[in-house]
Amino acid sequence: MSTGTERRQRAARQKVAWTLLAVAVALLVLFPVLWMASMMVKPSDVMFARPTVWLFTPTLEHFDYVIEQGFHLSLLTSLALGALSTALVVVLGTPAAYAFARYEMRGRDDLFLFILATRMAPPVCMVIPYYLIFARIGLLDSFAGLTLAYMTFNLSFYIWVLRSFCRDLPVELEEAALLEGWSRLQVFRRVVFPLLRNGIIATAMLCFIFAWNEFLFAFMLGGKAVKTLPVAIPTLITTQGVRWGEMAVVGMVALTPVMIAVFLLQRHIVRGLTMGAVKG
Amino acid sequence: MAAIDTDLAVSPASATEPRWYPYALIAPAMITFVLVALVPFLFAVFISFHQMKYGRLGDFAGFENYGALLSDSRFWNSMAIAALFVAIAVPLEFMLGLAGALMLCRPIWGRSALVPLLFIPTTMAPIVVGLLWKIMLAGSWGLLSTNVIEPLGLVGEISIFASPDLALYALIFVDVWQWTPFMMLAFFAGLQALPVNPYRAAAVDGATPVQAFFRLTLPMMAPLLVVIGLLRLIDAFKVFDSIFILTGGGPGTSTEMPSVLAYKMTFEFWNIGEASALAVVVWLLFFAFCNVFYQLAKKKLNAF
Repeated sequence: MSTGTERRQRAARQKVAWTLLAVAVALLVLFPVLWMASMMVKPSDVMFARPTVWLFTPTLEHFDYVIEQGFHLSLLTSLALGALSTALVVVLGTPAAYAFARYEMRGRDDLFLFILATRMAPPVCMVIPYYLIFARIGLLDSFAGLTLAYMTFNLSFYIWVLRSFCRDLPVELEEAALLEGWSRLQVFRRVVFPLLRNGIIATAMLCFIFAWNEFLFAFMLGGKAVKTLPVAIPTLITTQGVRWGEMAVVGMVALTPVMIAVFLLQRHIVRGLTMGAVKG
Repeated sequence: MAAIDTDLAVSPASATEPRWYPYALIAPAMITFVLVALVPFLFAVFISFHQMKYGRLGDFAGFENYGALLSDSRFWNSMAIAALFVAIAVPLEFMLGLAGALMLCRPIWGRSALVPLLFIPTTMAPIVVGLLWKIMLAGSWGLLSTNVIEPLGLVGEISIFASPDLALYALIFVDVWQWTPFMMLAFFAGLQALPVNPYRAAAVDGATPVQAFFRLTLPMMAPLLVVIGLLRLIDAFKVFDSIFILTGGGPGTSTEMPSVLAYKMTFEFWNIGEASALAVVVWLLFFAFCNVFYQLAKKKLNAF
């Protein structure tokens, strides 16, 4: 009996030790984020005081400046662009992902590799021809232009990952429904879609985050009329110096939807970020 | 669970369906790809064979731009920097990630709350990551500059990002901070999917945890490790945003990765012909990487 209790106690001690280690690692990793969060309400005069000031009276001065400079407009632009491009990706990509998962097609693997290559190509290679073409056809600094440009990485990503969700669905259900005499469209709407809904939502949320985080396209192809949050951030590095507190505010605002998404996505996120190679 | 072989998954009713049906389903997406990926790529190829400085398209130039690029020491410098960056960052992320994943497999309270928290760096906008580390490391005022780097005497009064010797390593550090959690959680997902029975058998045979790791875990995880490592390698090679905001490729050309060089060639020197040649070269390189990734993941992981 005593050895049993002893073993249990040892296991409990080990659990405490591992938990402490894991929490310490997480704190160490997230410390810079917490520090930036504290800078949102830190008065400018003690921002970079030496020695470092850890305790201070919170202030809202940085928020005032951020609103004054119209950063909420960039926030709306980012939200609109993310929503618009993600919606288009879902509409175009869902049938394609389903077809890639279920049908034998000539050259399917080659097309699929082309889609992956589109996703993997460095954005800077894309931005050069895009800039020249858009300048010619007047799509610079427009929602339409950026939405198109975002298709390169998001439509390919969406099809690739959603196909992996499609392949997890049991084929038997669809076959049974087809034998019942349902049309493919009916089968898709009543059988496939309900099962696939969570996969669609998870993949679409990741697409939104990629659009939300994107910098290079938005910086080179956008600008004044369409100025997303990541593009607005460097404008706080002014000739009179850097507005650190304001940067912290905008940085944390940019981080918020991402954090929400991470908590909602949980196990799907690994599958998404590994292009479906690892099922989370 | 073995992956379902989708080639056999064509439904019995598909014989009654018109043959064009699947092509109709993929057509809207494929047309979009032609417009947004193939056309820009072919346009870049077209320009790379022409003289183009500033906005005007000049005469056909054959391989002139490619010749200029390949004899440009700045191009080779950028390739060497990318190689160094990837060769240090990816193995570091790999090993730290694997260690972290093994740690997460131990009994831990509140693991389900910890895992998403650890994902935050990976999902942050690279531009915000850059900003974050500017706050931590920049100048002599950044938090770590004041409290860690200066007491250690690493750099004097200047920012670590302004030091020709250390700037690249600071960028590598930032990359490791952002991407180690990704490796860790991908590996963790892989470890969780491993079968339990071989470990039970090994325990019965009296194997130590270290033996179990090298004899069971590593061989079983090997395909996943390779595929994830390759994916990260591809991504690390094209890093741009954080470099752009932290060093802009400087000081000098000491952190000028190919993506930064392509950007500067285009939008600072307006040497568009050579920049397009660079883009095409990098593109082809990526296509090769990408093919390897696809084949490996398909064969070894049964993914896709």
